[in-house]
Amino acid sequence: MAAKKAAQKSLSLAPVLDLNEANALHTKLMGLRGNTLVIDASAVERVGALCVQVLMAGAKSWEEDKQSFTFAKVSDAFTKTTQLIGVNIDHLMAKEI
Amino acid sequence: MDMNEIKEIFFQECEEQLAELESGLLRLNDGDRDPETVNAVFRAVHSIKGGAGAFGLDDLVSFAHVFETTLDCVRSNKLEPTQEVLKVMLKSADVLADLTNVARDGGSVDQARSAQLIRELEALAKGEAPPAAATPAPVAAAPKAAPVAKAAPAPVAAAPLVNDEGFMPVAFSFDDFGGEEESVSDLPAYDIVFKPKSELYTKGNEATLLLRDLSRLGEMSIHCNMDNLPGLDQMDPETAYFSWKISIKTDKGEDAIRSVFEFAEWDCDLEVTALDAGEAGEGSDDDLPMQPVPFDLSVLDGEPDAPIGVVEEEEQLAAAAAAQEAAVAAAETASNVLQMAGNAARASAADKGAAATAAAQNNAQQAASAAAPTIRVDLDRVDRLINLVGELVINQAMLSQSVIENDSNGVSSINMGLEELQQLTREIQDSVMAIRAQPVKPVFQRMARTVREIADITGKSVRLVTEGENTEVDKTVIDKLAEPLTHMIRNAVDHGLEMPEKRLAAGKPAEGTVKLTAKHRSGRIVIELSDDGAGINRERVRQKAIDNDLIAADANLSDEEIDNLIFHAGFSTAEKVSDLSGRGVGMDVVKRSIQALGGRINISSKPGHGSVFTMSLPLTLAVLDGMVVTVAGQTLVVPLTAIVETLQPDAASIHSFGATQRLISIRNSFCPLVDVGRILNFRATQANPVEGVALLVESEGGGQRALMVDAIQGQRQVVIKSLEANYTHVPGIAAATILGDGRVALILDVDAVVAASRGQSLQQESSLAAAG
Repeated sequence: MAAKKAAQKSLSLAPVLDLNEANALHTKLMGLRGNTLVIDASAVERVGALCVQVLMAGAKSWEEDKQSFTFAKVSDAFTKTTQLIGVNIDHLMAKEI
Repeated sequence: MDMNEIKEIFFQECEEQLAELESGLLRLNDGDRDPETVNAVFRAVHSIKGGAGAFGLDDLVSFAHVFETTLDCVRSNKLEPTQEVLKVMLKSADVLADLTNVARDGGSVDQARSAQLIRELEALAKGEAPPAAATPAPVAAAPKAAPVAKAAPAPVAAAPLVNDEGFMPVAFSFDDFGGEEESVSDLPAYDIVFKPKSELYTKGNEATLLLRDLSRLGEMSIHCNMDNLPGLDQMDPETAYFSWKISIKTDKGEDAIRSVFEFAEWDCDLEVTALDAGEAGEGSDDDLPMQPVPFDLSVLDGEPDAPIGVVEEEEQLAAAAAAQEAAVAAAETASNVLQMAGNAARASAADKGAAATAAAQNNAQQAASAAAPTIRVDLDRVDRLINLVGELVINQAMLSQSVIENDSNGVSSINMGLEELQQLTREIQDSVMAIRAQPVKPVFQRMARTVREIADITGKSVRLVTEGENTEVDKTVIDKLAEPLTHMIRNAVDHGLEMPEKRLAAGKPAEGTVKLTAKHRSGRIVIELSDDGAGINRERVRQKAIDNDLIAADANLSDEEIDNLIFHAGFSTAEKVSDLSGRGVGMDVVKRSIQALGGRINISSKPGHGSVFTMSLPLTLAVLDGMVVTVAGQTLVVPLTAIVETLQPDAASIHSFGATQRLISIRNSFCPLVDVGRILNFRATQANPVEGVALLVESEGGGQRALMVDAIQGQRQVVIKSLEANYTHVPGIAAATILGDGRVALILDVDAVVAASRGQSLQQESSLAAAG
């Protein structure tokens, strides 16, 4: 189904976001620049600090671009990891309207 | 991983926790007042309670809860861990073990006993002396009543099961982990600055896992510094930009914190600062927004469908995941690290005192959680491997032999290659054997309980001292050791130790000591059980032996020989048969079990000072280093451990003694000469000693004998094949083996041959060897 807004893209994160995935994730995000981005992190079972760095750098760049960068769904493992490493993603969570 | 597997792991961990609990309590009993010991004991019970709660094991939870409450009083110095208090706690540890066993294997526990202990524990927690036992306690023990607290004497009426505070056993939930939180504010606080370098990640380490391990040490809050993080365009995804400021409250010490970062210390900047009590608090020195780290991080433990955090100390479960990611670089040395850390823990227990031990143990634990070097393997698989390696050794020997036979000058490259193969085979075999090697600690710990129970029944006051629990020996040997040891411990307490009043009269402390030690000695494990009791009443033993027609009334026996009479079947000096021992089935069974393991047992006793039982057992039942000898055309293998030296006798050193005995003079002392071929009936007359070789052997009794053989073929490692299992027991022969040329050779039972040389025929050996 075509997206309602051409500018909105979504990205589903892989279950394992370890160090090997950081480059791939970076490349994917770079390819999505300029669009409103909704990230689905519901399948994430493991995420490492490098991938969190990439995601946070993404959030920063999107903010600079004045585009929306949100997490639609997050898994428990994803939430717990961000809490563990002190990265607050509350402001990036999609608000239910 | 299904629920049953997780439950099984929980029970395995329970065993470890129970062992930790018991050894901690015993250390406290020995006067150790290190807070870390108390904490370790508390944690053990707390972990069992936590896990049991997760599996709905209510009996276990409710007992552990009461136990934990009392331990908490000790931890917070409200209750002095006197001998009396510890006696109750040791009994409680036994009940906790019983409850765990019942939860795993079914069956039932002694409800009255656990209810009684709950009452006693609750009384202790309230600062009262434990209520009088409902079951008749041995009056004779009459230990000095130790005032537990300043409170008034205990009410005689037993406290109700539901106490004044209205405590009812409730199922445990993870919210209960708050139990520890009351005291969290008192815990030492540390500030940590952790700045990973990019190398940390490129070497396969993962900051999240380090932080997760760190969070397990205590209550933690964290601030992630993202100031260096550039935008997506400028960033290199494999560069470290994040750094962290962490506050943690933990009683585990700075060493434990640092050991979390052990594998990453070169690849990060790490500052750990211990805060004074006044400084402790959220964001004490600066106003960084610290984010509390959630307590339950089990979802990060690598098994997404695992139940929410079985227990907080569940490092073992998490360790596999941690090992893969956190310690890739260190994986191959992981077991060494663990072993070293374990050794450090043990070494410092001896020399540096308990505080150092705690830190070292923490290191060991941390190393374990970071490197996870263990896997659980089905024993059958290991045994199959051992059998195959055994066959490999035989095969390699056969191959070597056939090459040597066809290579007269012995310099061909095949020959040299074979030597390397031989070394490799040997190394493989040693490594495989090491898989089965286990410390004797679990067996020794079981003995502690046996001692407690028997002391209770007999009304004696007994202290068990163990040494060398970490001595390793093959699992088969360990498994078969428990039964004879239990028999012997019972005997030592029941027969060996005197009643307290008698001990006092003899000028000894009322409390008797039973000491159990293990050590390696010349390729064998030697286990000694000594007591400081009355020693063997030789007159009575001798009289009993005469009454039972075991010896002639005028037999002239040495003290050692009289002592060894107690190993005879049906021999008991106990005037009355007690519940524990005295049926006369004890010591001969012990001797037979030990012999079946290829071991020897010996006793030495000093009247008034006690007895020492010494068991010497092979480290493994699978291989043996032996000297291959020829006797009357037969090839025999003599265990190398028995041989002191070999010599070529000359005519001048041989002396006749009596009608048939001969002695050999070695360095100005005489040693009986035993013709192995004659003893084993390989030949009808004694061979000429000058034509053969003498092997000087030492029997477990301490005496030396020179065994005459015709020639020495060489020395090699042989794979033991049981004669009993494949054929039947042959007197004088311990087992058999297959030689390089494919022939079967018999392995000599040196002790039996020595015993036979003392005038007993080999056929009677099984019933009479004990007298030797």
